[in-house]
Amino acid sequence: MNSKFLTLFAAAFIVAVIMVYQATKESAAQVLVVSDLLKSSENMTRIRVGGRVSTLSLDYVTEPVMKLSFRIQDPGKELPEVTESNTVSVVYEGLRPDMFSAGRDVIIDGRYENGVLYASNLLTQCPSKYEPPDPLKQNQ
Amino acid sequence: MAELGHFSQTLALILSVIGIISGILAGRTGKSSWLLTCRNATILVGIFVGIALASLGYLFYISDFSVTYVWQFSNRAMESNYRFSAIWGGMDGSMLLWCFFLAAAATIVAVRIRHYPVALSPWVLMVLNASVAFFLTVVVFYTNPFRFLGQPFIPPDGNGLNPLLQNIYMQIHPPSLYIGFTMFTVPYAFCLAALISKELNNEWIRLTRRWTLIGWGFLTAGIMLGGHWAYLELGWGGFWAWDPVENASFMPWLTATAFLHSVMVQERKNMLKTWNVWLIVLTYSLTIFGTFLTRSGIVQSVHAFAETDVGEVFLQYLAIVILAAAILTYVRWKELKSERFIESFLSREAAFLVNNLLFLSICFATLWGVMFPILSEAVTGTKQTVSIPFFNKVNVPLFLLLIFFMGIGPMIAWRKATFSNLRRAFIAPAISSLLVTVILLWAGIREIYPLAAYVFSFFALMTIVVEFYRGMKAVRASKSEKGIGAASADLLRRHRARYGGYLVHIGVVMAAISITSSMAYKVEKEFSIIKGESIEIGRFKITLDEISTTANDNYESLITQMSLYNKDNGNLIEVIHPEKRFYKKSQETTTEVALRMGAREDFYVALAGYDDTNGGKASFKVFINPLQIWLWVGGLIMLIGTGVVLFPNRKKEIEGLET
Repeated sequence: MNSKFLTLFAAAFIVAVIMVYQATKESAAQVLVVSDLLKSSENMTRIRVGGRVSTLSLDYVTEPVMKLSFRIQDPGKELPEVTESNTVSVVYEGLRPDMFSAGRDVIIDGRYENGVLYASNLLTQCPSKYEPPDPLKQNQ
Repeated sequence: MAELGHFSQTLALILSVIGIISGILAGRTGKSSWLLTCRNATILVGIFVGIALASLGYLFYISDFSVTYVWQFSNRAMESNYRFSAIWGGMDGSMLLWCFFLAAAATIVAVRIRHYPVALSPWVLMVLNASVAFFLTVVVFYTNPFRFLGQPFIPPDGNGLNPLLQNIYMQIHPPSLYIGFTMFTVPYAFCLAALISKELNNEWIRLTRRWTLIGWGFLTAGIMLGGHWAYLELGWGGFWAWDPVENASFMPWLTATAFLHSVMVQERKNMLKTWNVWLIVLTYSLTIFGTFLTRSGIVQSVHAFAETDVGEVFLQYLAIVILAAAILTYVRWKELKSERFIESFLSREAAFLVNNLLFLSICFATLWGVMFPILSEAVTGTKQTVSIPFFNKVNVPLFLLLIFFMGIGPMIAWRKATFSNLRRAFIAPAISSLLVTVILLWAGIREIYPLAAYVFSFFALMTIVVEFYRGMKAVRASKSEKGIGAASADLLRRHRARYGGYLVHIGVVMAAISITSSMAYKVEKEFSIIKGESIEIGRFKITLDEISTTANDNYESLITQMSLYNKDNGNLIEVIHPEKRFYKKSQETTTEVALRMGAREDFYVALAGYDDTNGGKASFKVFINPLQIWLWVGGLIMLIGTGVVLFPNRKKEIEGLET
């Protein structure tokens, strides 16, 4: 190894690290679940929330803008009763994703303001691609 | 049939272990009888994995729902070609398909083993068999696709393939990626063999160049097809979202591309030996890491793969792959030392090195982005994540620099560029690029990234044009009777690898211009209209003519008919049909995007919903993506370029066989 090679390498490495650091600082989002939001009363910007779409007050309008409003609950936890106090209200302006429906798990990027989660991005996990339903359950 | 499949894959696993042992014995003793055993075992592995895959295909063909995997991913209503592609609709079949491509590659190497140096060949086969054995272990013990449902009755119908995957691109995208991934096993095997046998000249690189190129071509095709599928099928108007699964295929592509460039430095200047060893180790490791990432459930992704315990096995294998290479590099440190160094920053080797560092930086940033949720949780205790903005912030400027160096690298002189070399190669591209900058500024393009992207793309293109023009002039000067067509054909024939490479670069330029345009100048609009109403967007006017419903065995659908007009002269451009389908079996809704592709822009319409209470309003989302089509054309040109490089050169082939 000669010095020219090392100089290039070190320079590239430092620049890359600085760029990555800067971009991370500017765009990192806190990952939360629904119960974290329920516990917190303060507003939060830049969060990512994983939740399950509840059966409570799911609504989709296309006018004047496409707007999907629904409530999410913690995924993987059976609630005795779905109420406003154990779910969080979500508002998403945009096209309703194909795989979106009650009971599906979603990942929401957005901000939390006065108890409402405003989604800038809504991802619906597609449950059937690699996880088909259990054959035993279906045939009984 | 399921029994035959299971038997074949198990037998193949045993044979691959025999291949490993006989490979080691052949390497240690140098006896040709052991090498013959190893060669035959490798070929038999290929045959039996082939039989296993064929059995699975047959099970899908006859819809044998007593087999869990077939029941999960097929049903009777599905068209027969989709039934076949359901083989890779899930993890179990995907792993078997992966095994098949890997075993097929090993078999080809085994059949041609006489053409390779005697010192290398046993170790090459040993490493290949070890890799096959690992994947077969996964298939036999973890993801066996031949398991029975274990029910007292056979279900009358299966579950069916996810409707999103019932698409031509999803039929060819996964196999294309798998071929791409598996081909890199061959250079890795040759590389390890070279380290073990101390045959550390450029032979292993020369012998595996085709494999690397084929792997790179398939990986490129696979990534492009995946993007094209997302664009057509997912209805959000984009083609790339920096999702962990996309990144998993993108990272090995980056290191492989770096490798393809830096091997030229080794072949020409006999340096960067360790560097190249590690680029191929990294590429192979990243293909394994990608599989680990997507199958272990450690990262959140839209592609919700089942969380399986396979992840851990892959991690262990990954550790072995890297550790083996690390130990061998340490042991062979002296032999790997280069005899030559970089003499000047103004040289092709320096430009190639910068290219490599840029590719690796992008790879590092992408890896960081993928791993950030895990790292942040481990370090700070709270989980954080990054998404699309992060990747764009870091990778866009790095890609811009890469495009700039794509113009510099191929034209600058080796060793040390002289002033006259620089002037000859770059004066015309530089001046014309300045001119283009002025024109673009005048046209109103003021944002730095789009401006830089267009100017650098133009610069890279111009350097190729100048190079081609100079080459042609030289040919015509030497053979004065030739016309332009004959001269360029002659030039391409004589320097196929070089001009194939330039063709790939032209494809990259097109893709870069297209991506820049759709990123910076995309138009989005949402609207709701009733039958007969129209709306104006951009240079178009669109009218809703008809709304109707139909149904078949597989799905019910809501179809609209829309006429797309040129706003200014009122001419009809095309009649399009945005559609929504409801698949009965899986209870899934899919949006069938209507798309009018054009050279200037794509007009992309997704049907968002239909409300029949309120006078029958249908709502739509429209995207106008400028120059989108050139991304796919660019991808195709990259593949054609790869094909040109790969096209067998008869004379060289014969020379290669003799040495």
